[in-house]
Formats: sequence, structure tokens, C-alpha cells
Amino acid sequence: MTNNFSLLIPEFLVTGLAFLILSLDLFVSEKRKDYLVWVGVIGLLIILGITLLTFTNGILYQGLLVFDDYTNLFRIFFLIAGIIVLISSNEFVKSNIKYKGEFYGILIFTILAGMLLSSSSELLTAYISLELLSFGLYVLVAFDRYNMKSNESGVKYVLLGAFSSALILYGISNIYGVLGTTRFDEISLMLTSIDDLNPFLILGFIFLFAGLGFKLSAVPFHMWAPDVYEGSPLPITAWLSVGSKVATVSLVLRLFCESLLQIGNEWQLIIIVLSVATMLIGNLGALVQKNIKRLLAFSSIGHMGYILMGISALISVNEDGSVSTEMTVLVINGIIFYVIAYAITNFAAFVSVIAVFNHSGQDSISDFAGLSKRSPFLSLVLVCSMFSLAGLPVFAGFTSKFYLFNAVGAQDLLWLVALGIVTSLISLYYYLMIARQMYIEKGADSAPIKVSSSIRIILMVLLVAMIIGGGFPSPLMDLIQLASEALIS
Amino acid sequence: MTIIHFQFLSAILFSLGLYGVLARRSAVLILMSIELMLNAVNINLIGFVAFRGFGQEIQTFGQVLIIFVITIAAAELALAIAIILRIYRNKNSVNVDEMNILKG
Repeated sequence: MTNNFSLLIPEFLVTGLAFLILSLDLFVSEKRKDYLVWVGVIGLLIILGITLLTFTNGILYQGLLVFDDYTNLFRIFFLIAGIIVLISSNEFVKSNIKYKGEFYGILIFTILAGMLLSSSSELLTAYISLELLSFGLYVLVAFDRYNMKSNESGVKYVLLGAFSSALILYGISNIYGVLGTTRFDEISLMLTSIDDLNPFLILGFIFLFAGLGFKLSAVPFHMWAPDVYEGSPLPITAWLSVGSKVATVSLVLRLFCESLLQIGNEWQLIIIVLSVATMLIGNLGALVQKNIKRLLAFSSIGHMGYILMGISALISVNEDGSVSTEMTVLVINGIIFYVIAYAITNFAAFVSVIAVFNHSGQDSISDFAGLSKRSPFLSLVLVCSMFSLAGLPVFAGFTSKFYLFNAVGAQDLLWLVALGIVTSLISLYYYLMIARQMYIEKGADSAPIKVSSSIRIILMVLLVAMIIGGGFPSPLMDLIQLASEALIS
Repeated sequence: MTIIHFQFLSAILFSLGLYGVLARRSAVLILMSIELMLNAVNINLIGFVAFRGFGQEIQTFGQVLIIFVITIAAAELALAIAIILRIYRNKNSVNVDEMNILKG
């Protein structure tokens, strides 16, 4: 059996780009290292073009990696997200990070891991991709070597990350031992053929869920998230809250859709409990935060709760016991649209926080007082992204919440949707607190903030994307529809 | 020696590791407990490969799984030690209770 390696061209190229930057870092002079980021950006743009042009469906290594419309959507997503995070970290890295080439090189490896995670359809492959992502992030979180906060968050992240991967591995070993396979489609076949669930199999799945819950920062596995977010360098906080979350969601979605739909009734309650706890604790915890990174950390925990709510609604069994895929596709559409809207909005929020931080070096909420006078553009973007995160109309956050809640409600989980709406209302309070600081409070410092043109362009693109995603989602929804049909077939 | 012995041994080792992660205060000892958990995974896998009566192909896959677990565990430990060394240089302590500058 021959493998069609041309399917992996984008992944090979991203690996090559990461090594190129790492080796350029050895040769170029200290002054020219500031240009390495543009090597990365241009490289990723070229790879994005190649990915769009050369896409074909297929499988590799007897189904360890699957390339379909779902993979392609997330590949494109990670390439674009990588470009955004590289450009927005440029200025921050110039003034705060000593080893620039390594920073960008490792960052590009985590982009590669995200792309691989969305295509892996086997537990070991998925685990290795997840470790590639986590290893890169462990290093990046602790990258600010002489900053105590960065050190501390690095230790916390690496200890809990290693712990969670041990949980995932124990889960995988039990699943392998009982079922004799770790491929998603074969797990699904085996699960339908056995009558009662072996206790070791249940143990395996519980450990797997717990480990993935750590990576998603679902309550009760969320304690690391606020600390790690607060301590890490700001662009990495942005990348943690977007890249690592979306990558894990793309894996979880494939795992649940391809292998666990058949035994949906067994796990639905677990995910509902996780989702309720995550929505409540994420949004209530954010109410008392003073630091904007911690606040956004709790808000992203809350958003993971909504996504778990979608995952708990994936199964739909008809009256006669057959599985109807129509509703499931709707829910998958909702989840994918939700993560994309969440990513755009969170990027907009974080990039404007980065721009403020580059100027003032402060990141507590009270430092945003009077921002509307100092930089009307930044405060406009920040307030729009806050409205979008809270789910107010016109912005992408509203439309995606509408799609997701609508699909979950149609699956007879209306009470869960009601809870989601209540927690969104709670979240509106703390998002508006930031808006109040910017527009009503008077700041001590009134010097205008200079925003570099690259960050300005990124912010404008994100703002437009936020509004287009909210107002005219149909072109994006068509792509998402293709992706979710590929996942369910 | 049957499969159930391996499963129990591995479950006990895993629980010991879990207890260590929760109870130890030194970051290095927490890492050692995590290593214990990963070794429990390996023992579990060895038991399944040897006594579960799988076909040749599935057995080989299980052995590959073990090698990957060993490799990734080594890499993970090296990385974690490097990060812990960093905080030790700055702070002269690896006690996780003293890592408390980040809180809300």
C-alpha cells in the first residue's frame, strides 16, 4: 500500500519553515533578528496559498491521518491564526523577549501541532500531536526567563500538563487493552458490537475525558488556566486562549463524532455536568478579577462551557432507536462556528490589550481607565470585542451563540440553553466593567497611545471579520457545513 | 500471572502516582510521581500485549505504543526539569507552596 505523501505538503512546509527560522537565528546578527517574524509571516502566507490550491481528500498510514474538508477548514484556520499571532507578537517580542528566533520557531511548531490535531483520527497520533502542542506551549509560557511570573506559570503549566497527559495515556492504554484498537472508526464499530461496557473501558474513557478536560480547561480541571494566562508573555496568552483551545476542540469534536456517537447515552450526562460547572464557574469567577489576563482566562473557561454544551447535544436518537445525523450536523455547525467566532473575537481583545501593554507595560483593568481619550481606535476595538464575547447582536459572538443555542435547544436540552443565556447575561456585567473603565473613568495618564501600523491593520481586519461573521455568516456557514458533513459521514 | 495481576499492579502504581502528585510539595517529587503514573501505563500496556490474546498486528501496535510512551515521557521530563531549574535559579526553591505570586 502506497501513501500519497502530497497530502502532507502543508505540514512538511510548516515544519521546514520552523527549522528555517531556528537556523536563520543562528546566523543573522542580533539587529536583523527583528525581521525573522516577517520570514515567518510570509512563509505562512505562501503555505496558506499552497494549502488552498493543492487540497485533496485522502487518508494516510492506513487511516492514522485523515484529510477531509474538516481538516482543511482547521488547517486554514490555524495558518491564519498563526499569521495573526506572529504579527501581533512582533513589537512585544522586540522589547521583552531575548531569544527571538527560538520564540518564533517554537510558535510555528505549535501551529503545526494544531494542523495535525485536526487531521489525526487515531488516539496515539492525536496524543502525539497534543504533546507537540503542549511542549511548544510549555516552553513559550516560561520563555520570559528572568520574569518570576513567567517562571511560575511555566512550572504550574508543565506540571499539570504532564499530569493530564499521564491521565490521557492511562485512558488510551485501557481503551487499547479492552477494544484492541485506537482508531476512531474502529472504536465506533467495536462499541456497537459489544453488549455491556467493561469497567476498564469505562475507566479508560473517564481518564481520557479528564485529560482532555485539562487541556480544554473545563471545570473541575480549570485551576491552572488563570495562573498560566496571567504569567505568560501576552502574545502567548492570546495563543493559549485561541490556538490551544481550538486545537483541542477540533480533536474532541472528531473523537466524539467519529467514535462515541453510538454510546451517546452513556456519556451525555458527564458532559452536561462538566458544561454546567464550566459555564457557571468560568463566568462567576471572572466577576472578581482585577487583572485583564485573568479576566479573559475565566471568560475563556466560560466559553469552553458553551462548547461542551454543544458536545453534550451531539447525540440524537430517534424514537425508534436509530441515530439521526441531520440534527448532529446542525450541532457540529454550531460548535465549529462558535469556536471560529470565539477565536476572532478573543484575538481582537488580546491584540488590543497587547497594544496597550506595549505602550504602558501594565495589564490590570484599572490601567484601562480613560483609554477612549488616549486611543479611540483601540478602545473601540476592545469594546466591540467585549460586546461580541458577551453575545450582543451585530457581532460574530451573537450569531454564533444563536446558531449553537438554537441547535442545542432543538435537541431537547432547553434548560441547558436557558442556563447558557443566564450565564451570558452574567458575563455581560464584567465585560461592561471594562467598557466602563475605558469610557467613563478618568485615567491618571492621558498621553495618547501610539499603535504601530501592523497591529492597526490586524485589528481592522479582525473588527471587520467580527462584523461580517455576525451580519453575513452564510459564506462561512457553507464551508462549515461541508466540514461537518465530512465529519459525520 | 494473568492479565488481571497486571491491571491491578498498574492501577495501584497509578494511584500511588496520583497521590504523590496531590500530596508532594516539591516540584521534583511531583515530577517523579508523574513518571510513576507513566510507568503504570506501560505496565498496563505490557499486560494487555502479553496476555490479552490479541493477533500479531495488534500486539505489535501495543509494543509501538509502549515505545512512544517511554520516549514522550523522557522528553516531557527533560522539559519539565529545565523549567523547574529555571525557577530554582531565580528563587532558590522548588516548593510549589511558595509559588504564589500569581493569584486573583
